[in-house]
Amino acid sequence: MATPMVAGWLKFAKEIEGIVLDIAGVLYDSGDGDGVPIPGSIEAVNRLKASGVPVRFCTNATETTRVNLVAKLNRIGFSLEPNEVFPPAPAVCQILKERGLRPHLLVADDCKPDLAGVEQHDPTCVVIGDAAHGFTYDSMNKAFQALMQMEKPLLISMGQGKYYLETDGLKLDCGPFMKALEYACSLEAEIVGKPSKTFFDAVLKDIGISSDKALMIGDDVVSDVGGAQACGMRALLVRTGKYRPTDEKHPTVTPDGVVDNLQQAVELFLSCRDK
Amino acid sequence: MQCSAPSLRMFKSSKVCTVLIDLSGTLHIEDYAIPGAVNALNRLRRKVNVKFVTNTTKESRRVLHERLHSLGFDIEKSEIFTSLSAARSYVDTHKIRPLLMLEKEAMEDFEGVGTSDPNAVVIGLAPSCFNYSKMNEAFRMLLDGSTLIGIHKARYLKKKDGLYLGPGPFVHALEYATGTQAVVLGKPEKAFFLEALQEFSCPPDQAVMIGDDVIDDVGGAQKCGMLGILVQTGMIAFDCR
Repeated sequence: MATPMVAGWLKFAKEIEGIVLDIAGVLYDSGDGDGVPIPGSIEAVNRLKASGVPVRFCTNATETTRVNLVAKLNRIGFSLEPNEVFPPAPAVCQILKERGLRPHLLVADDCKPDLAGVEQHDPTCVVIGDAAHGFTYDSMNKAFQALMQMEKPLLISMGQGKYYLETDGLKLDCGPFMKALEYACSLEAEIVGKPSKTFFDAVLKDIGISSDKALMIGDDVVSDVGGAQACGMRALLVRTGKYRPTDEKHPTVTPDGVVDNLQQAVELFLSCRDK
Repeated sequence: MQCSAPSLRMFKSSKVCTVLIDLSGTLHIEDYAIPGAVNALNRLRRKVNVKFVTNTTKESRRVLHERLHSLGFDIEKSEIFTSLSAARSYVDTHKIRPLLMLEKEAMEDFEGVGTSDPNAVVIGLAPSCFNYSKMNEAFRMLLDGSTLIGIHKARYLKKKDGLYLGPGPFVHALEYATGTQAVVLGKPEKAFFLEALQEFSCPPDQAVMIGDDVIDDVGGAQKCGMLGILVQTGMIAFDCR
């Protein structure tokens, strides 16, 4: 059931020239094997693409490489191309090369190929992602010790999400572990990924539009909605994925609209544009 | 020991009724007693109440007591007040059923505490618990309304072979993940010192804390109105800060 807030964002539906979708929690729920599509999402994405409006996928997920993520999503019914998908690891790799940084990696093993090609000996930064079971006292301690030995300790975090939803429940994202290292070392991490403006700008540049012509749809009220709005985009919150009812009363972020799921958002959006 | 005039006067006027003494770095360093400490303690006991206070969460009170005894200190187990004791006391007072994230050696101090159907997460220095599965278990309990209790929030500790993460970062991680603030029990929290003094019904302004950590021992004690004396053994000697 659409809330009264929905009417507001539909007024500008005709001005939208590009849509940016989060992946986990909007397209599918990860976990069990390849994960499970959220009902209606496959068709919603297909309809959006068929309508001619440019669509991009912006995710903080780093449990695997971009190529593997796309392959996984296509196996469960989506039709995506790697060049439409924007995860943080390739962006971090670019940054490491541009700044001549040597990383100590605290990331999922399957993500490492997207961070290959950089020298790792005698690290000058720690890169942290959603390592999941890769987070142990030992691996955290090694990252901590690496930071404490650096002349200028630098922690690069791929997103700062608190948690995400998998098929068997909510799980800690890399944000809490990033905060643990920040606390231990009395430093502040650099965020690559949502909600960083640089990250959203790269996606908008790829579409070739200004932020006021873009619409973000996500399940994370802070990283997706708040982050997109801070860049000048409009943003919808979906009630799938990690969504919790308290998100609709967030102290600092007010979504432009709240919808039940991607399918509802797309139905409303396309029907408005057809008028 | 250098004392300011007011504090020396306080000592001399025998307004002091209780002295709290840190253990590691003040009475002993690992397996040796600090020179003069045994005699100093015996002399002190003739004048004032004495209690030993420490943030350690890796060992039970019994193990600590045995070590001190073997070093020649005449100490009763009941005189040792650890952050684990503070946690046990808190759990009993508030009738909490905790999920205990502690190492096996520390669990002894929680014997008799009911832990089924837990409604709180109690975190100490527990490397074997700081893994993804256990942290997720704690996280989900906290989202469901359980209380987060940090036995203390030390950022890290210094060992012979380098720096090691303390429990603080992991408590902080869960605070961030759930948007809550932990109840923190050990030094330098005011409640810890007040609880240590409670047995003697001693007001803080008649008590002294002696320790080697300027923040946790001296700073913490001063914040609750006690006199804080810094010893130059332990932390300073080993350049830990």
